[in-house]
Amino acid sequence: MSFNGFKEVIGEGDTVILYLTIHQIYSVKADVKTLSKKGATVENIFQTPYGALKCADLIGKKYGTKINLSKGWGYVLQPSPELWTLTLPHRTQIIYTPDASMIVLQLELTPNSIVIESGTGSGSLSHALIRAIKPHGHVYTFDFHEQRVQTASTEFKEHGLSEWVTVKHRDVCSAGFGSELDNVADAVFLDLPHPWLAIPHATKAIKEVGGRICSFSPCIEQVQKSCSTLAELGFQEIQTIEVLQTQYSVQARSLNVLNLDFVKIKKNDSENEKNKEKEVVRTITSVPPSTQPGHTGFLTLGTLPPVWAKSLKEQMENSNMDIE
Amino acid sequence: MNQNQIKFGDYLIIQRQGYTKLHKIKPNGTITLGKDVIQLDNIVGHKYYETFRMIVKPGSKRLYTLEEVNELTTKNQLNIEQSGADNRNIIDDGNSQALTKDEIERLRDQAVSSSDIVEKLIANSKTFNSKTEYSQEKYLKKKEKKYFEYIQVRKPSIRLLAQLFYRQDPAKTLGIRIDDLSQILTYANIQSDGKFLLYDSGTSGLVTSAIMNSIGPNTHGQLIHAHPGNECQKAAFLAMQFPQEQVDRCIHVNLYSVLRCYYQEGGNYVKGNESDKKQNQEKSGDNSQNVNQKSHSEDNAKCSGSNSESTHEANQDSQNDEITKQSNINSRKRKHSESDSNETGTVVKRPYWQLENEKACHILQEKVDSIIVVAKEHPMSIVKELLPFLKDGRTLVVFNLVKEPLQDLYFYLKNRTDFIGVKLSNNFMRNYQVLPERTHPEVIMNFGGYILSGYKLNM
Ligand SMILES: C[S@@+](CC[C@H](N)C(=O)[O-])C[C@H]1O[C@@H](n2cnc3c(N)ncnc32)[C@H](O)[C@@H]1O
Repeated sequence: MSFNGFKEVIGEGDTVILYLTIHQIYSVKADVKTLSKKGATVENIFQTPYGALKCADLIGKKYGTKINLSKGWGYVLQPSPELWTLTLPHRTQIIYTPDASMIVLQLELTPNSIVIESGTGSGSLSHALIRAIKPHGHVYTFDFHEQRVQTASTEFKEHGLSEWVTVKHRDVCSAGFGSELDNVADAVFLDLPHPWLAIPHATKAIKEVGGRICSFSPCIEQVQKSCSTLAELGFQEIQTIEVLQTQYSVQARSLNVLNLDFVKIKKNDSENEKNKEKEVVRTITSVPPSTQPGHTGFLTLGTLPPVWAKSLKEQMENSNMDIE
Repeated sequence: MNQNQIKFGDYLIIQRQGYTKLHKIKPNGTITLGKDVIQLDNIVGHKYYETFRMIVKPGSKRLYTLEEVNELTTKNQLNIEQSGADNRNIIDDGNSQALTKDEIERLRDQAVSSSDIVEKLIANSKTFNSKTEYSQEKYLKKKEKKYFEYIQVRKPSIRLLAQLFYRQDPAKTLGIRIDDLSQILTYANIQSDGKFLLYDSGTSGLVTSAIMNSIGPNTHGQLIHAHPGNECQKAAFLAMQFPQEQVDRCIHVNLYSVLRCYYQEGGNYVKGNESDKKQNQEKSGDNSQNVNQKSHSEDNAKCSGSNSESTHEANQDSQNDEITKQSNINSRKRKHSESDSNETGTVVKRPYWQLENEKACHILQEKVDSIIVVAKEHPMSIVKELLPFLKDGRTLVVFNLVKEPLQDLYFYLKNRTDFIGVKLSNNFMRNYQVLPERTHPEVIMNFGGYILSGYKLNM
């Protein structure tokens, strides 16, 4: 229940982020009991590299405090969509924070937007969407994989977010988003292998005053098909972008300096001795990792104009978007 | 429907080709695009997103009115008969365009429609028909770009504003690119019901308006926007035209002045709750006089009035001149809040900025859910001063176009024992041209800035 708004104290049943180091971040549930693999009710113990954590002990602790483990310590944080993305159980490929941030801004979401998402997948992006549209908006999220739909809905309930999200089991490419969503959406987001098949349904779902669309695709062929479908259906401001984030490690480095001055003078033993003292220069630098993801996916964006502007199909935007 | 209708007083984004400009529409107002002066009165009553054609005013050269259009003349309607398979026969000797520049300008002054001009250009271009279809298209675009006569009117959104400012001059937003902005909002965990503290010394109001946009209408979220000068920049904030109730939840204060109020006026304001009513009932006499006596200009943090306009740095380019000029005029009138009667019935004028300071101090007293620093100055002293107001477990987010100040901050935070998850990052962002058989990254790219973020602990 710890995803809805800001909280100070850990309550029973909260999902809690356990931070050990920047590379060791986990999510645990502040439940006294849990089910063992055999289905028996057992004490909820979470094993970390620094020893065991009795999850019951978390209840009543303040977020942002240190907690002791049997062989060390860690810190507890309230989950945000970003921390959840880092720790969630992967059931599919997921959308990471740099893309998710851009998607939310590009879809122009505000706390009263209606947004449609497909597929739900592991619910990584859904959490970011829900934060953006609460409390007056709603997320309708679709997946054709029944178990993912169920897991996602249980998760949203456990996170205290059910009020703002409806999870539906449906193949959106063949069945669309349902007539009950005709002309209700401010924005549509697609993360599907064949997004161009869902775009015509998106057109129906978007409000008469128009709206935004974003499709995330790893492959350029998908992008090409999506772009031509978007153009055919009258979308404007069609744009494809890619965002990659690099995280730096800030370091102080000491570099030895070779003293080459004495090469110009005749060899003199005593002077040479003096020059053996090493000179060192300290510099501060930001070092990128030796490898990092070089590609996640392309974000293809577009605007469906309002009904009164749709007659201008062949619009100046489309023909000029790529000039700038 | 109503809010989709263009009215006087609205801020519009005027779009011509790839070019956009922010404009406030007033009766008898005009907008200057390049050399063209366009009268805008005709678009009032029309809807956003409509497209208008520029019609030259009889007897004038570059003065236009606007007329709604339902159909566009585009390159597709131009007659392109032949195209060469490749460009082996094209010799560019600088003479391939037979119309001179002057002749083209003359055509233009005769108010020939842009597709007519382009057609004439084609007819007079010796090489056009031997160009490949690909380069023909490029040529047409190049020409059309210059002669395009349509403008579209858009309602400002954070996305459009971020793009508009960045395209005009990244310095207008201290170098914040749209992806930077998106990440600042996420790392700061901006949402509808938190209390947030922003220090922003010059993003044309972009960060303020983006945060307020994410806080949303009819919610409980509040933002303290601290800035260093007499006035804050708020072009983007005004452009968003938030409803009054939402505008009121954004508290603009001068950084020095609000901190002085917090530390020096101490207990005086603390008793009141956040509602203005209660504050007004306080024995505000001494309190307000104390602050009033300080004649420092920094106390004159006048930018919170919903009617006041933004003021821009001198280095801002001329594109927003109209808005800027207007702001300067308005900001000269020092605005005071409504007179409040105190218990004894005497009327005490409490300056607007002082009420805002007090409002902000109440929030600071309770601490905030994230702190965002987007500073021209070195962020270190600002961050040090603001951190005591950050709740435990919440995030600090600092943006800078260069990484060195953030490196300093990184070490500072690492050395404090109450910070974890300190990250320094920057983005690579690339746009793609996607066209059949012609998909490639766009030939120009740019570089975003650096973001430092971290979580504060209770130690
Ligand atoms: C990559 S995952 C989405 C991940 C999600 N964006 C996240 O951040 O967790 C793609 C999902 O789309 C679903 N899917 C694929 N085709 C679909 C269709 N035609 N209709 C509905 N869902 C579909 C898959 O079952 C899968 O769960």
